[in-house]
Amino acid sequence: MQNGAEFEGISVHNFSEKILEQVVHFHVMKLSGGFFLWVGSAPVLSNLAVSMSSKYDSMPLSTLVMGDPSNTAPNSLAQRLAKKTKKQVFVSYSLPMTDSSLSLLVENRIKKELELHPEHF
Amino acid sequence: MTTGVNKMSESVIRSKQAQREVNGISTEVVCTEFSNYIFVVLTQYGKIGTLISVTPDSRSNDLSTPTFSTKVLLGKDEPLTHVCAKNLAMFVSQESGNRPVLLGLALKDSSIDAIKQIKEMIKSCQVW
Repeated sequence: MQNGAEFEGISVHNFSEKILEQVVHFHVMKLSGGFFLWVGSAPVLSNLAVSMSSKYDSMPLSTLVMGDPSNTAPNSLAQRLAKKTKKQVFVSYSLPMTDSSLSLLVENRIKKELELHPEHF
Repeated sequence: MTTGVNKMSESVIRSKQAQREVNGISTEVVCTEFSNYIFVVLTQYGKIGTLISVTPDSRSNDLSTPTFSTKVLLGKDEPLTHVCAKNLAMFVSQESGNRPVLLGLALKDSSIDAIKQIKEMIKSCQVW
């Protein structure tokens, strides 16, 4: 999988969930050895973080390639998903980051989808 | 594996994808529309590869030909990357109302002929 030997092409998966009175949309693009995940309530791409595991640290490396560096949400989500999936993870998190309970619920929803539909990631 | 163009329209995010052989190499294109960006993945590795933003410069007068800035956000920053990115993404930006393009580029073959064919693939995945 890591080298794309069993990779069957890019696939796209969308799902939505009403969380704390607002509809949150999820868009996943499955890639070889990784995935791109966008989370938002409106179709805006406001930031992008990339994370992947390193053999030198138990915590995956993560970097923000686009957006406001003071917003730590995309980085930390990418890092936790990279740790969980052992894959290269791109995350764009376009929700108001003022609400920490929202981000927790959003992360749980992603984890649920990962368990229910691992084939999409 | 998907062949031809696939439409996916259940979310607020619209994307279209295509897969084709370009000079014997399996090539995938995925275009995704955001209100402030068009995200285009062009890959012969199944990966996003080098991430480049292609942004239209604000023009001082309408008669001049539009210019674009390219910036490598992730990956090897070499001159050819900028050339390919501009060549591939400029028309996408122009057709989408001057939206910036976020381009994921992972090509084994960056010949002019391959770029030409890949551009046709992008046109078949128009989401803007």
